[in-house]
Amino acid sequence: MWLYLGTGLAIFFLMVVIGIVLRAEQAGWIPLDQGWFYALLSLHGIGMITAIAIAGLGTLWYFVYREIALDARIAYIAYGFFAAGVICVVVSVIPGEYGALWTMLYPLPFVGTYWPSWATGVWLVGNILVMIGFVVWCMQVLAGLLARYGGLRGVLGIDYVFHNHEFAEQHREPPPPQMFAAAITAIDGIISSSLGMTYGVAMIVHWLDPSVAINPLWAKNLIYQFGHTFANLTIYIAVAGLYVGLALCTKRKYHTSIPLVIGWWGTLLFVILAYFHHLYMDFVQPQVLQYIGEISSYLAAVPVVVVTVFSGILLVHRSGLKWGLGAMFLYAGMMGWVAGGIAAVLDATIPVNFDLHNTLWVPGHFHTYLLEGVLLFIIGWLFVSLEQRSGALSPLIVRWLAGVGIFGGGALFLLSFYIAGAQGVPRRYAVEPAPGPQMANFATVGALILLTGLMVVAVEAFRLRRLPESAELG
Amino acid sequence: MPGLPVLKVFVGAATGATAAMIAMALYRAREPVPQDVVFSKGYAVRRFWLALVLAVAVAAFVISIPRFPYPSVTATKHTYTIVAQQYSFTLPATVPADTPVVFAVTSRDVNHGFGIYDPQNRLVGQVQAMPDYVNRLPFEFHLRGRYTVRCLEYCGLGHAAMQESFEVR
Repeated sequence: MWLYLGTGLAIFFLMVVIGIVLRAEQAGWIPLDQGWFYALLSLHGIGMITAIAIAGLGTLWYFVYREIALDARIAYIAYGFFAAGVICVVVSVIPGEYGALWTMLYPLPFVGTYWPSWATGVWLVGNILVMIGFVVWCMQVLAGLLARYGGLRGVLGIDYVFHNHEFAEQHREPPPPQMFAAAITAIDGIISSSLGMTYGVAMIVHWLDPSVAINPLWAKNLIYQFGHTFANLTIYIAVAGLYVGLALCTKRKYHTSIPLVIGWWGTLLFVILAYFHHLYMDFVQPQVLQYIGEISSYLAAVPVVVVTVFSGILLVHRSGLKWGLGAMFLYAGMMGWVAGGIAAVLDATIPVNFDLHNTLWVPGHFHTYLLEGVLLFIIGWLFVSLEQRSGALSPLIVRWLAGVGIFGGGALFLLSFYIAGAQGVPRRYAVEPAPGPQMANFATVGALILLTGLMVVAVEAFRLRRLPESAELG
Repeated sequence: MPGLPVLKVFVGAATGATAAMIAMALYRAREPVPQDVVFSKGYAVRRFWLALVLAVAVAAFVISIPRFPYPSVTATKHTYTIVAQQYSFTLPATVPADTPVVFAVTSRDVNHGFGIYDPQNRLVGQVQAMPDYVNRLPFEFHLRGRYTVRCLEYCGLGHAAMQESFEVR
């Protein structure tokens, strides 16, 4: 767990610095060649998602490992693929200056480029290596779950829901909630990675032989299916830390229930289908898929607000928990998830998307998910485990500094995206029209405050880590 | 739908949700009770909460359908062919106001975005410009003046400078 978590968080910190550079450039604080702007934006986007995924996959693997004997060597092999992929991606940008962004929308990486062709090839290979690492992780975890819980019927809780009385009479136990997070991640991960791999291989073939054309509409569907699902899954990967961590903090049990299982079935299906909302403005897309995209995007939110977040609130309510950084981040992560979800659901409404598609509203909502949702679940779990280990909570001053930094700075950073996006400022502009640069000023200040908060958190984590183990362990 | 009302809805809803969650965490926090007491009341509330969430989702979906921007006709008297390429648009010089028009949008090279900004710099509509495909955007302009078209799909180094304009009269 520590190898994945440490690697993921280290890459994350570097990506935060790159992100601040980009916003500062848009604010006019620092000069940056436009080619390098888009190259760093490419690295920032793919780097952030990959970093947060690696960190989350490490903690989720650990939760599964506590119940099922998984071979650590497979996890190291997956890590090796991740590491090789990350190195390739970094090299494609520095020094390759690859600048077609994570979406690499065909035929952009091959037409009118300002970077050498080899950088495109290395980028593609890097992405494929990361996908292979992810599939290795998914396959190992899914195989372990299937063996432990009796096939798909057991893993997905089908018998538990439809034969509940017999289940209880046989004294059988359903998988704990974090295993559903693992199962859905693995299943959806394998499905979407297959589609992503199809796109990656097609792009490699075109890179090697440009006479082999790819249908642009199919290309969009494949890359957005993989990209949306992979990014969305990072939330569900990290939510396992919420299940386990909040239960420890509150000294209550986060148990599996029929609504929880049905909620995860909904997540399994709607996370895969929601990606159509990325193609709302492609009017040639069959219209039925647009309808499916909108209703799936709405329904994907139902398990979140009715099961996970609702139960999380109940778990904390009048529990008598002591608010260390662990509990604080886990609970705040739910608030960030809801806020980002509201922005997402609004943008997933087609008439609204007509005015917000590809504006700064889009990075506004996913930065909310990632910075004030996924990241907080991950560092929340990190602090719960450190607090349980040491028996100590962080001093009040540290909690205030971390809170002001991460929530105050974060709010300023995120609001600038939403305000600019609502006024039609496009995303992915090295030089933005008004009021983009004005909003970028606030964003840069907010991001610097956020970074300060993160550094306080990092120092506190190392301090707690150095404390001796408590005699009373959680 | 213009962006600023959506921003107000978002800020209001997000603030309300955050405040409600903080209130639930702090309410009588110094008087802990057993888990089953909280959960039994919570589960009773959840049935209504689920019904409300589903009702809002279905209602929003049904209300949004008539407002989808997708064309129901393939051509009108006023159909304009728009060609996007790195880094310019081929546009008509003028477009009539108060008249249904269709923009038939395509690309010569990579994906672009045909984003229409009104004389007050508000984004009023868009569609993707794709190679090998023609996306048809039906529109009707009521505000007369100079409209700006910006690229709304990253297309390379000149993406931010890819801009043209036309007159509505």
